[in-house]
Amino acid sequence: MSQIIIQGLLLSGLYALIAVGFTLIFSIGRVLNLAYGAYLMIGGYVYYHFTQVLGMPQIAGILLAAVFGSVIGILKYRLIVKTLKGDHVAVEISTLILAVVIQAGIVLIFNDSSKILHPIVPGVWRIGGATVTFNILTAALASWAIIIGLYLFVRNTHIGRAMQAVSMDVKGAAISGVDPDRINLITWGISGALGAVAGVFFASYTQLNPSMWVAPLIIAVAVVIVGGIGSIIGSLIVAHIIGFMEIISTTLIAAELRGVFTMLLIIGVLVLRPRGLFGREEL
Amino acid sequence: MGIRWQHIALWLAFIVFMLALPELVSKGTLRTIIFANFLAIFAISWDVLSGRTGYISFGHPFLVGIGAYTSAILSYRFGFPIAASIPLAVIATMIGGTLFFLPALRIRGSYFALVTLAFMELMYQLVQVIRPDLTGGTRGMSGIETITRGAVNNYYLSFSLMIIIALAMWLVMKTRLGTALSAIGMNEESVRGSGLDTTKLKLAAFMIAAFIAGLGGAFYVHYLGSIAPRALFDINFLFTIIVAALIGGASTIIGPMIGAFFLTFLLEYLRPVLPGAERYFIYGGIALILYMYQPKGIYEVAKQGWSRLRAARAGAGP
Repeated sequence: MSQIIIQGLLLSGLYALIAVGFTLIFSIGRVLNLAYGAYLMIGGYVYYHFTQVLGMPQIAGILLAAVFGSVIGILKYRLIVKTLKGDHVAVEISTLILAVVIQAGIVLIFNDSSKILHPIVPGVWRIGGATVTFNILTAALASWAIIIGLYLFVRNTHIGRAMQAVSMDVKGAAISGVDPDRINLITWGISGALGAVAGVFFASYTQLNPSMWVAPLIIAVAVVIVGGIGSIIGSLIVAHIIGFMEIISTTLIAAELRGVFTMLLIIGVLVLRPRGLFGREEL
Repeated sequence: MGIRWQHIALWLAFIVFMLALPELVSKGTLRTIIFANFLAIFAISWDVLSGRTGYISFGHPFLVGIGAYTSAILSYRFGFPIAASIPLAVIATMIGGTLFFLPALRIRGSYFALVTLAFMELMYQLVQVIRPDLTGGTRGMSGIETITRGAVNNYYLSFSLMIIIALAMWLVMKTRLGTALSAIGMNEESVRGSGLDTTKLKLAAFMIAAFIAGLGGAFYVHYLGSIAPRALFDINFLFTIIVAALIGGASTIIGPMIGAFFLTFLLEYLRPVLPGAERYFIYGGIALILYMYQPKGIYEVAKQGWSRLRAARAGAGP
């Protein structure tokens, strides 16, 4: 029982981090970035290459992953999203194609065998009957720190408030002197960095392989859709629902069924309550 | 109806050319064309649903997969003859299509795309876990009965299937139903405002799409003789279907066919130049650039080029 609660809490923290970067883009640009999962994959592979192949320190690996992620995010905004000028369907389909291209690129550079990351922080901690690896504990703590930091950034800084303004009303923000293009660019950069860092932790929790981007994309989608767009609290709650559902189905039912309930949740909520459980966004 | 004799002449010329093809090309090329034919069927099915009505489906492999799995299980595990298992598979796919249709009653756009993606992933996971004794689990099934043998026979079979579906869809889209479906893609509210029952129209589009997907999936599995979950319920398969329809030209009939042949031959002709993993990278890159350059597809590019040519000729004339 304590095993389920502790594992569930830790996994949910990781899932919240995965979803945060995706929510950011969706609430500001109203664009579904289907290549979001590719940030996670790029982050994981960059970290792997610099720390495990080149032997650089871990903190440098994480920072480099963030830099790569944000550069790719900015390029994606400049080259794809801006070129297509807000045609949502076209953006979704091109990001889907881009994700497949990035997957092929990863196979090209690193070949398609799975790779195991060394734990970022090795060691195990036993409390009660539960065993907790320091690795997932670090991931959960780091993701809480990042989420709180992001929340404060969006609330308290000038750029953060400009981001909120653009997400509410682009024209209104432009009239008040905010440059929506610049804000969008910054948001895509931040989202890419968040995705890449989440990818390092996600990869150390599972493993690296060229098709690892699908599962986190679906988790991010589920959290954003079910939580309701623009609701940070909603996203956090849903990240916990999904995290606990996975842990419960893995430990009590069957490990193969771990994703089934997530899919059923997406389908059920979108069909019955299209605005999400906690959402306020009009469709 | 707006059918002119040029249309019929073009279709006939195309059919005659394709029927003569086995005399002209090698067996290997024929096998490539067989894949292109099946891809064209799936892309036409996607286009009926998504290209016309604007309900973008990211879960089309779900429908194709139901058709393929139903027919495979019926014939391989229960010894049904193919003549019975394929119609039953089509019926099963249409039932699956109604399931697919439920979310379209309330949501559209990106949200609909996501639900259908969830359907596909759900199916992928369920197929491996529920009754692996029937579905073959992760490894799938092999040694499924095939309809005919040899490249030439299979070529004729797949081409006939594709051309019948394409012609039937071409005729259906010329009727008022086709016009109404395209109108839904432009503005659903005004279609409803003009007194048409959009729910019924959408249901018709979903049923036609499911029918084609099921038929294509069932024939495909009896061509391959094997089936595996990762080959079907996969984002790469989805990518190929959608990109074939879009690169060729959505909401046309000839477009998805052009797209399917273009993609299949692109991948095939890259093989001698780039034997390794680079191939998929270049292939995806070309698809991305083509789509970004003209989201309406090759058909539109050709049409614009043609009218520009005619304008230039008319301008140069006396």
